[in-house]
Amino acid sequence: MDFNTLLKKDYVILDGAMGTMLQAQGLEAGGIPELLSITEPEKIINIHKSYINAGSDIVYANTFGANRYKLKDSGYCVGDVIKASVSCAKKACRGTNTLTALDIGPIGQLLEPTGSLRFEEAYDIFKEIILAGGDADVIVLETMTDLYEVKAGVLAAKENSHKPIIVTMTFEENMRTFTGCAISSMAMTLEGLGADAIGVNCSLGPKELYPIIEEMSRWTNLPIVIKPNAGLPDPVTNKYNVLPAEFAQYIAKLNKFGIRLVGGCCGTDPDYIRETVRVLQSLKPIIAEKEIPSAICSPANTVIVDMPRIIGERINPTGKKLFKEALRNRNIDYILGQAIEQVQGGAEILDVNVGLPEIDEMEMMVTAVKSIQGVVDVPLQIDTTIPEVLEAALRVYNGKPIVNSVNGEEESLNTVLPLVKKYGAAVVGLTLDKDGIPPKAEKRIEIAEKIMNRALEAGIPKRDIYIDCLTLTASAEQAAVMETLKAVEYVKNNLGLHTVLGVSNISFGLPNRGLINSTFLTMALTRGLDLPIINPNIEAMTGAVRAYRLLANHDVNSAEFIDFYGNAAPVQTQSAHTDHTLEYAIEKGLKGEARAITSALLETKTPMEVINDVIIPALDKAGNEFEKGRIFLPQLILSASVAQEAFEILKAEISKSNNSIDKGKIVIATVRGDVHDIGKNIVKVLLENYGYTVIDLGKDVEYETVVNAVRENNCRLVGLSALMTTTLGAMENTIKLIRENGLDCKVMVGGAVLTPEYAESIGADYYSKDAKRSVDIAKEVLG
Amino acid sequence: MIKIERINRAEALRYMGYNKDIDLTNIEGLLDSCEKELLSVIKPRYCCRIFDIEIKDSVELKDCRLRLTGKDITEHLKDCNKAIIFAATLSADADRLINRYKVKDMTSALILDCMASAAIEQYCDMAEKEIGNDRNMTWRFSPGYGDLPIGLQREFISSINAEKLIGLTVTDSNILIPRKSVTAVIGLSDREIPKGRRGCAICSMAESCQYRKRGEHCGL
Repeated sequence: MDFNTLLKKDYVILDGAMGTMLQAQGLEAGGIPELLSITEPEKIINIHKSYINAGSDIVYANTFGANRYKLKDSGYCVGDVIKASVSCAKKACRGTNTLTALDIGPIGQLLEPTGSLRFEEAYDIFKEIILAGGDADVIVLETMTDLYEVKAGVLAAKENSHKPIIVTMTFEENMRTFTGCAISSMAMTLEGLGADAIGVNCSLGPKELYPIIEEMSRWTNLPIVIKPNAGLPDPVTNKYNVLPAEFAQYIAKLNKFGIRLVGGCCGTDPDYIRETVRVLQSLKPIIAEKEIPSAICSPANTVIVDMPRIIGERINPTGKKLFKEALRNRNIDYILGQAIEQVQGGAEILDVNVGLPEIDEMEMMVTAVKSIQGVVDVPLQIDTTIPEVLEAALRVYNGKPIVNSVNGEEESLNTVLPLVKKYGAAVVGLTLDKDGIPPKAEKRIEIAEKIMNRALEAGIPKRDIYIDCLTLTASAEQAAVMETLKAVEYVKNNLGLHTVLGVSNISFGLPNRGLINSTFLTMALTRGLDLPIINPNIEAMTGAVRAYRLLANHDVNSAEFIDFYGNAAPVQTQSAHTDHTLEYAIEKGLKGEARAITSALLETKTPMEVINDVIIPALDKAGNEFEKGRIFLPQLILSASVAQEAFEILKAEISKSNNSIDKGKIVIATVRGDVHDIGKNIVKVLLENYGYTVIDLGKDVEYETVVNAVRENNCRLVGLSALMTTTLGAMENTIKLIRENGLDCKVMVGGAVLTPEYAESIGADYYSKDAKRSVDIAKEVLG
Repeated sequence: MIKIERINRAEALRYMGYNKDIDLTNIEGLLDSCEKELLSVIKPRYCCRIFDIEIKDSVELKDCRLRLTGKDITEHLKDCNKAIIFAATLSADADRLINRYKVKDMTSALILDCMASAAIEQYCDMAEKEIGNDRNMTWRFSPGYGDLPIGLQREFISSINAEKLIGLTVTDSNILIPRKSVTAVIGLSDREIPKGRRGCAICSMAESCQYRKRGEHCGL
């Protein structure tokens, strides 16, 4: 018997709870149940047998928590526990048709960005389990709440075995997992990655799962798995409230949603399985191919391409001096700022391009994708011409992204499409090939058709193929504009594919670009453009899309439009007409006025004069007020953030003359093992406002990373932060390594658990009791 | 379902280092909008389990692997025959919100961080009331306080299945994730327990504590 043969049955019966059975037999709370496979194998084998006798077609081996992290202090290694557990299940299955599943639960640590476990390490932990469980017939990932962790698990399973993969996640009554993952996102991501069956286990009873299964059935044609709890637990006694017969009745009600694999989770025992088998005998499964919506997602946010959706174009260094500088300095916060600003502007998807010849694009792309997903939840479009960079980004992306792009050339089709298929992405096909961009629509349509057919052959569903008919510059190729639109219309209506266009190119070299852009956008929308790539920070562009959605009857009852514009104050252009000085704005925290005042100041002062004569004295004043207890920390940072606004204007001005503001470089980091970075970030804001260039290494930073950054940047000052007594050791080790490497730099340390005496004892040069003090130290060391 | 309607503003301000001479005019609006946004995203949850206890050199919990070690916890539970192992979290939504603000708006990030700290304590108080149901209870004693090892976090979580029930995890450095979370043990007694209060005497932070330096108390 194998899994695919098993799927020919009407229903595949799974088992019920293992933990519940073990607790009934006296397993103590907090004990490691997987160890019983070694110490009391008969107990485990008997539980498996009781489920097999009740009718289970697949039993889950006792391997749920058998991972490197959870077994750490147990005295046993992962391989031994898994082999023993799988062997127990195999022994119980002997002489029957029942299959053994390698059961994999959550690792027990949250992955980045919320937690500190790296995606790559999670992959490694799963790989170890999967290799050890080679004797099992099926791989199960269950009780998962983090889509990112699941992705690491599925990739590890796919790349280290050929076994079928069943994935179930745990949803709460709000239709989300604890980490906020939506059902639609789970379904499309896992179907894309090649799971064989997906569904839900734990947390709720079969009655409460009804809306969850209903929603899941809309998003997948895969067999749906359910393993509900025996109802809800009593908060005091922990007893579950649904009995076997009732459990089975509720399961029957879920049949219409296409459930195919059925078992039980917490609180269930063989009686529940027996009743379920009995009730399912009189039913037939519903197997129907449904039309799945064309969509992409992050874990928390699914974007359905059923109306024009805005792709933000700003994360791209082309023609942007400050962006290039940010990439060279690894200033991730700059990129994150661009991401947040675009989402606030109305972007529903963000294009991410970090290609610059002199940097390591792969490393930067991986960092950018992870970091952006940590602060915004819109799906991303991965934009690179290098296949290795593309694959690295597709691996670490959490959800289902868009790949930008493939084109009609053989090499491109052969390298990009298999990656799109493997990672379950959507893909943008550019209508060009080795001969360049065809001038005429007909030829572009031909290329679009070729891309479509090749993508279909590669196993990519039609709904995931988006075609870019390519915008040419009107000033250079005026006649081509209408050809592009003609192609868009044909691709949309005759090929039945969604369309993408980069809009802003159209106006290159012309005056009043905004007018050309918004007019072309509107023209393209009426011809069938679904995914305009635009600058969402420009109101005329996002506004055109919003208005189009209203007029094209997508925005039902004009709700979105009215919500956005109905109560909006009249658009205020930033005016320099204010009576306030920059000093006053900084002192009072008037963020909105800083830019305008600064621009006005630049008419009479140089940027360096503004910094030295205005900003720094104002900040010094705020710092003194803070020290005297007349303002408190939030107000000090507020003043600093006003100065930061002013700095944005000054930086732009200075970069025009190819100079930069630099009073010296300072490396700062929260030490290894520690994830508290509020204090460190506050220090960063203040230091930057005094004109220092801060190289922020982030949190949980390895000792060597600090040393390397100091050496590469020739830094004379390092700031280290730690907030836990348990991580002070890491601070000491970091300092030690800096000294051992003979680096000529001073070290300042800060954090709530530190004292001046302790700082001295671990070899720090300065103890910074607060953010204000760090500035004084910087002045002393760097001037 | 316990719901936090308003965040204890005075507590949150204290965490930010506020004193009564400070004029809040230029920051009040920001405090209000931060509070509103935080309350709209968090999904606080708690879980707990009551164990019979036996006090020897350490505190032993019946049918549980967790051993509470140290003289402080033994003293804390000396009049009790049961203990509640308790965990609560504001959810990862709080972390995500704060992380987003860290990029472009540190003022809000700091305010949100302090408000979230106040909110989790408030939530714990409310949860405690719900669990306690007028029984005689000690105050919450958390790993890392006094000489109760912070290294117990992992066993705390696994003994009440907090990962599965409320999504709480712990890093190798014993930091709880989601960040705004609490684990604690609360003693239960048949007799009335003398009203004690968490003090600085056994606190491991006493030497470096910012509140003590200002002549205040952290309030816990």
